[in-house]
This record gives sequence, C-alpha cells and structure tokens, in this order.
Amino acid sequence: MATFPEFIAQNEERDGVRFSWNVWPSSRLEATRMVVPVASLITPLKERPDLPPIQYEPVLCSRVTCRAVLNPLCQVDYRAKLWACNFCYQRNQFPPTYAGISDVNQPAELLPQFSTIEYVVQRGPLMPLVFLYVVDTCMEDEDLQALKESLQMSLSLLPPTALVGLITFGRMIQVHELGCEGISKSYVFRGTKDLNAKQLQEMLGLTKPTAAQAGRGPQAPQAPLSNRFLQPVQKIDMNLTDLLGELQRDPWPVTQGKRPLRSLGSAMSIAVGLLECTFPNTGARIMTFIGGPATQGPGMVVGDELKAPIRSWHDIEKDNAKFMKKGTKHYEALASRASTNGHIIDIYACALDQTGLLEMKCCSNHTGGYMVMADSFTTSLFKQTFQRVFTKDVSGAFKMAFAGTLEIKTSREIKISGAIGPCVSLNAKGPCVSENVRQFHGNGGTSQWKICGLDHNTTLAVYFEVVNQHNAPIPQGGRGAVQYVTQYQHSSGQKRIRVTTTARNWADAGTQIQTIAASFDQEASAILMARLAVYRAETEEGPDVLRWLDRQLIRLCQKFGDYHKDDPNSFRFSETFSLYPQFMFHLRRSPFLQVFNNSPDESSYYRHQFMRQDLTQSLIMIQPILYAYSFNGPPEPVLLDSSSILPDRILLMDTFFQILIYHGETVSQWRKAGYQELPEYENFRHLLQAPVDDAQEILHSRFPMPRYIDTEHGGSQARFLLSKVNPSQTHNNMYAWGQESGAPILTDDVSLQVFMDHLKKLAVSSAA
Amino acid sequence: VNGNQERGWNDPPQFSYGLQTAAQGAPKRTPLNKRVPPPQLTGSPCPVPGDFPSLTAPMTPPTNPLAPPCSMNTPPRPCPVAAPPLAGVMMMATPPPPFPVVEHTDSASSQSENEPDVDDVVTLLNWALTACRHTVKKQVCNDVAKRLKLFEDMWKSGKLSLPVRRRMNGLVQELKSCNWDAADEIHRALIVDHVNEVGQWMVGVKRLIAETRNLNPDLLHTQEVDQSLDTSSTGNSD
Repeated sequence: MATFPEFIAQNEERDGVRFSWNVWPSSRLEATRMVVPVASLITPLKERPDLPPIQYEPVLCSRVTCRAVLNPLCQVDYRAKLWACNFCYQRNQFPPTYAGISDVNQPAELLPQFSTIEYVVQRGPLMPLVFLYVVDTCMEDEDLQALKESLQMSLSLLPPTALVGLITFGRMIQVHELGCEGISKSYVFRGTKDLNAKQLQEMLGLTKPTAAQAGRGPQAPQAPLSNRFLQPVQKIDMNLTDLLGELQRDPWPVTQGKRPLRSLGSAMSIAVGLLECTFPNTGARIMTFIGGPATQGPGMVVGDELKAPIRSWHDIEKDNAKFMKKGTKHYEALASRASTNGHIIDIYACALDQTGLLEMKCCSNHTGGYMVMADSFTTSLFKQTFQRVFTKDVSGAFKMAFAGTLEIKTSREIKISGAIGPCVSLNAKGPCVSENVRQFHGNGGTSQWKICGLDHNTTLAVYFEVVNQHNAPIPQGGRGAVQYVTQYQHSSGQKRIRVTTTARNWADAGTQIQTIAASFDQEASAILMARLAVYRAETEEGPDVLRWLDRQLIRLCQKFGDYHKDDPNSFRFSETFSLYPQFMFHLRRSPFLQVFNNSPDESSYYRHQFMRQDLTQSLIMIQPILYAYSFNGPPEPVLLDSSSILPDRILLMDTFFQILIYHGETVSQWRKAGYQELPEYENFRHLLQAPVDDAQEILHSRFPMPRYIDTEHGGSQARFLLSKVNPSQTHNNMYAWGQESGAPILTDDVSLQVFMDHLKKLAVSSAA
Repeated sequence: VNGNQERGWNDPPQFSYGLQTAAQGAPKRTPLNKRVPPPQLTGSPCPVPGDFPSLTAPMTPPTNPLAPPCSMNTPPRPCPVAAPPLAGVMMMATPPPPFPVVEHTDSASSQSENEPDVDDVVTLLNWALTACRHTVKKQVCNDVAKRLKLFEDMWKSGKLSLPVRRRMNGLVQELKSCNWDAADEIHRALIVDHVNEVGQWMVGVKRLIAETRNLNPDLLHTQEVDQSLDTSSTGNSD
C-alpha cells in the first residue's frame, strides 16, 4: 500500500495531475471548511516518451450532454459488448471494430496503466505550421544585427514545410512579399491608423477562399495554399536570409530628447489581421521582436518625449497613466481575435527600459504565447532562449504544440468553477459547470478552454466545487472522477487527443478528517492558492489580497494544526502541512504579490511565467531552492535563511529567473588567493566547481534562460541572495538573537520567525 | 563562452548547440528540489550556529587568510580526500566540459594535422551542386552557387575560424556518404554556434543538402559528376 507521497508522485508522473486533496470531503459544506478548495494542477502535454500514440479515434459516450471518453474506470460487459460511462452511467454499445475484445483481450484505453492515453486523429490533411515574424527596426545597429542573425539562424531550425512571413516596422509598417523573383516588394502602411481585417484584406489583395470553392467535391479541401506573404521555408529560405540581411535601422531620424516613433500596436494588428484572413483556425505563431515601447498609433504606451517617462506602479496607483487603459484595450482586442483563430502571439522584448509588457501581456497570456524579457538582442539570454523555442523532444518532434483545447468532465458530485493559466474560456456550459464562478471572471462558467500555444510544461490550475449536500450519503462507488481531454495540433501537423482520467475517494469529513488531512498535497495547494492570489492581485488592491491570503492560512492552521487553545507554543503542524506556511511567507514577499521594487513590466513578466509553469518550477519561483556546498559533506539543501550564509561554504540559489552562486567570506578569500590553482588543493578546486556544474545542468535546458550570477560576500550582486533569504537576523535584532554568524540583512521586513509567532498566536486564539 | 556582460547584466554563459541538444534526453544527475522545513513547526530545536560544523580557521584579516584544507596534508578535521563533487556517476550523454565552455581543442600542435583542405571541401560541395543542376531550377542552383563562392572566398581570406572549417569538412564527408540527416545536423550546429561567420552563406549549404537528398540516387553518379570528384585530391578521412 503506497503512502500518500508515493501515490501523489506516481499519479503526477503518469497523468501530469496533482490535486490539493487526494481524498475528497463528500459534502459542499465540509469542502468549504477545508479552506483550500479541491483543485488540480494539470500539465496536459506532460512529456511521456513511453506513451505510444494510439492510431484510432477515441470511443465516446453516446449521451449528447456527456460525450466522455471510454476509460479504465468504465464498467464493461464483454459478452454483450456494452460499456457503462462512469460519469453519467449511460450504457453504450461498442463500435463494430471492437467486436474482438474480451477480458483477456482488452483495448489499451481500458487498462489502468493507460489512465493517460494519446490518440492520433487520422482524418484531414496535415496542416503546415505558420510563423509570422514581426520585427522592430527602431534599435541600435548592433542590436539589429544580432536580431537579424538570430532570425536567419531560426530559418535553419524551422520545419522545412512550415510557412514563414515577415513584417517589419518602425514609424511605418512593411509587409514583405516573399517572392523568388529577385526584386523585393513590400506593402507599406502608416502606423497611426488601425486597420480591420477586411480593410487589410483589400489593401493586400488577398481573397479568402469562397464557400463555393471550398465545398467542391467529396474529398477533403486541400491544405491552404501559401500566399505571397507566407511561403514554405524550404522554398524561400535563401531569399528570406538575404532580405533579413538587408534590413536597415528605421530611417526616420530621432531628435534629441525624443523616443523613436514606433508603431508597434498597428504592426501587431496587421499581423493578426493577415493571419485571420489567410489561415484562420490553424496553428500559427506571431513572433514579435521589440526593442522599445509603442510610441504612436493605436496601442501606444508612452509618448515620444523622453522627459515623460513610461508609467510606474506609483503612476498607476495615482491614476496617472494616461495611455494605459486605451493601450490595454487595443492589445486585449488583438488577443481575442488571435485566440479565436487559434493563433499564438509571442513577445520578445529586449530593451533596458520598459516596453509595455503590462499593456501587452494579454497577447501572451490569453494565447499561450511566450513572453521573453531581456536587456538586448545581443545578450546570450535572448539568443539561447530564442533557440530553445525550437527544441525537439527525444522523438525528434518540436516541443511546441498548437491550437489546443481542454475539456473537462466530472462526476455528478463535483463541478468546475474555473481555470487559471494561459487559456481563454470557450463558454461551454453544461452539467459539469458550477455556478459559483464569480472570482474567475472570464475563465469561469465553462468546461472548455482554448490553449492556442502549449508545450510539455504548460500547466493549468483548475478549481472544483463539491456539490453534494451535507449528510447526503457517499456517492455510489465511493469515488469521484475527473477526465481531462486535450485536443491539439502536434508540431508534425497531426491532430492528436490526449485523455487523462483520474479518480479519488470520497470521505465523510465528520468521521474521517484524519484521512482527508493525510491526503493534503502541500506543494500543489501552495501553488493553487498562489495562482488564486496572483489572479486576484491583477484586479484587486494589493493589501486586500495579502489579507485574504493570511486569513486562509490562519483558517488552515486552525483546522489542521495540533494545539491547545490559547497556547501558541503548543502549536504543531504534521509533516504533511509543515512546509505550507513557509510557502505562504515567501509568497507574500515575492515579486508576484509585492510590486514594490519592480516596474509594471517586470511584475507582468514574472506573473506571466508563474501562471503557466509546472509545479516544480512554480515552487522554485515562490520559495527559491538553496543548496550549500562545503568540505563537511555532500551538497545539501539548507534553510532559505540568513543563518545559512556562512563564511566557509558556497551557496547555490535557484529562483527560476536567476541562478546565483555565492561564495562565503572565507571561500572567497581562498579563491582570490588562488589556492585552487595549486595541485595539493585540488579538493578546493573541486569544491568551487561543484555548484558550477549543478548550475550548468539547469542552464542547459531551462526555458526561459535564467540570468547567471557569480558573487561573493560583500559583492554587489549578493543582494539578490540577501533579498530572498528569510531575514532572521537584521540590523534590528542582531544582538537580541545572540547569533554570531549568518549575515544580517538590512531590512525592516518581518522574518519567518516573527511571522510564525504571529500565525501560531492567531491560530490558537479562542477569540478568532 | 561567457555571456554578454557589456549589454546585459548577469548574462548567462552561451552553450553550444551540441550541448543543449544532448541535455534534452539526459536525465538529471541530482535534481535540486529539496527544501528544509522551519524548525518551529516540527518541534525540533532551532538550528543554532554552533551546530553547523565550521572550520577551525578563525576570522583572519583578508590579506592573509588561512589556507583551505589541503588534500595531501592531514587535515585538522575529517576531510574527504577528493572534494565532494556530486555523488554518483555522470549520466549525461557527454560529460559537461569544464566551465567556461570551449570548443573541442585548438592546440597549436594539432592544427597542422587537422587543418582541412579548402579545395577538397569545395569540390565535394560542387559535386553535389552539379548533380542538382539536372532537376533543380536554375535560379536556385545559381543562388546556391553564389553562396558556396562566398564561403570559399571567406575561407581563403582567413575569415573562417578553425572550428567552422573543420566542421564544414565533416559536413561534406557526410554529404559524400549520403548521410543527409547528419550533414543537416552539422549545418544546424554551425549556424547556431557561429551565426556571425556563417550566416550569409550557410543557407546555401542547407538548401544544397535538402535538394541533393531528394535526387534520384543515379544522378549522384553520372559521368560528369564523377569527373568532378576525380579531379579532387584524396579527401581527408577521419
């Protein structure tokens, strides 16, 4: 009998699912008392190299309001060739192709080890992928040269059959024709006016295939032909390489004290429109490369006078951000059009100042597109991150997937409240949908979402509501089930369907609270609650969100802690819960909830990453990993605390966005003295190298590429470590604690100890 | 190669295409994902600095620090003979090279042995191009030829680094042996790792590989094609 941690790990490995609770309270009332809702993280395309794709279509329940996929939880009558849907209990006839099944000859989808299974849909043509590059030319020559080279390089990384197009912009916007004729032609647009799809279609001379043409003949319509603006890589790679090589910096002069006139909003609009007209409803990426903010036209985020800076959080708070609302609306409309068509918008923003990620974030967040923030196109951070977009998995297929939709089915006793992640609602009502959805704004009240761009790491958070009445008996079978059905376009062009079906036991919270408590997944719960908090922070006041978060934490402690009333020192949390308060402590002071010290663009970027990464990466973002290397033993995890900063050790900190190696004072002195060069101090050389090797492993594959910091005691870059560790020792309490080592942090932030003391006091208080 | 410290703060190091591709399939040696719970909740005593074993070296002034534990002398405290790198065997496909990442070797002594001959490389490329001229559009072939010429000129005027020259030699050997995927992979690695040297002409090589692999195999051995091969000196084999 597996322990809960083993059970949780096995399920995650096989299904890519982690629930907050692995035994579910059987009534709505009890579920709300659990504080953390029943919810799951789902990684729909979790890497499963061992999973063979099934070459036939899934069998569906015949009930029109159900349509669940045949799965291992279904009861089967092999003699009568019938199966009972485990969600709606409908009895279904097997299709004729299943005539040969028996209990010794079961189809894969009925076997328990195929709780996650992937089908390849055979019908229909293989659609080519479409990549539309939208390139800013208002940047320094060195930057533009580096960007050009990266784009030329990418032509070697794209699949040969993919279609590629180029739009460049500065003050004006140019849509390039990709002929083979030797003369380069382009259509030029002013950047000041917005164009709708129809106008664009006319001006570019594009005709949509008419209904008459498409419907002719019984065979499936041909794959969309390429057009003058989007051509197969294998055909125009040489021409496009030359075209990219010839790109010049935007010729419009920029006078002293002014910003370049950059019509980014219009350029993106034209890109969205072009794909809307020519390739609706097929996987496509609009990759925008920007060197600065939009300064004119629709979607502008700042004026062209340098003396008027781009909005800060302070400006936003004081309602002094004059372009923000209108700008955001522009990009929200674009995001909506793109996601309706299954198109992805990526943003590669490389500049030292803000570029307007705050206003543009919906483009990436709603379409599942990437958002990359770097200092310049000449940095290795940009170059390697961009290369990694084209990474292939072990089978040689691109990791990126397109045009995804996720549909969720649930047993009657549980309904879907909403989802948080890089998706948009498809407004699909039905029996699985809860009415209690207000907090999810657009992403509630549906059982289907669109995820236009996704990869092996993309993770959604889905929140459920238990709807069984209090004192109603435990449902028949004792288990509740959830089925996740993800349809998507594989990078080969194939249409695939991945189905994950999973179930958990119900328990009566009145009599089995210990069982339910033991099933708590503190890591998953921390992320699920964190996503809720960050989601709220986008629309509510910061302090309100923190108060909400604190209140939930206190309630959780009250419900599941062991203590004597009014005796804070008696408070204990079992191992199942012991990491949770620390996660909450770090979440509260994280850049996801604290906007102080970050620009609006930075906050948007960090939140963008947080709302889509898988559990392990998300936890790293909230509570960075800290490992210590010393002569005293193998590398070990240490408390993320100032007391872990000691002179004779090296620390490796991973915050997801940075990898930092910190050399303690003594180690740093040895390094400066050069001991590592001497043969008799080879062990010291190994000690210095060990964290570097571990850092490299992370740097080799993480997307996006993190920054890399090598620092030491007293180094200016050490501040990145000092700001993350719990400040158990500050200038305020240095002498009170009586500690002689550990580095005091100069801060007025509350420490974990103080936080825990307050928490325990509030949890045990009978006045609460 | 170190990151760009002038234009980006804390820019990470640049890894070669080969290393990054190898990293995809390789399992992690020791995933760094463990955390330590704070002692206040589990009831165990609060860690006191004295609990952490520290070396006997007292706080000496920075100008004269005491030395780290020496591997050969008897250390003052139990100290492993070899320093503690991570436990376990390296499981990566290729062991990570010492940091910073450098291209494989370039010592002066090996240079003369491993210096490929530009004419051999160009001959092989032209062999493939000649074969293509039968069926591939003239414009395309001319475009490829233009780029091959640029490649040749850059080589002859010393503008291509040794790693690029060597890998191009490897590429044409694969072409000759009809190992299309291997040749393609080398072209990709070259354009990722050396885009500033190869960016202008590599797409021609890419195209050449793509067109040549689709040819009727007989075309690869017509008389004129073989003639162009015969005129080359015996190519370097590895």
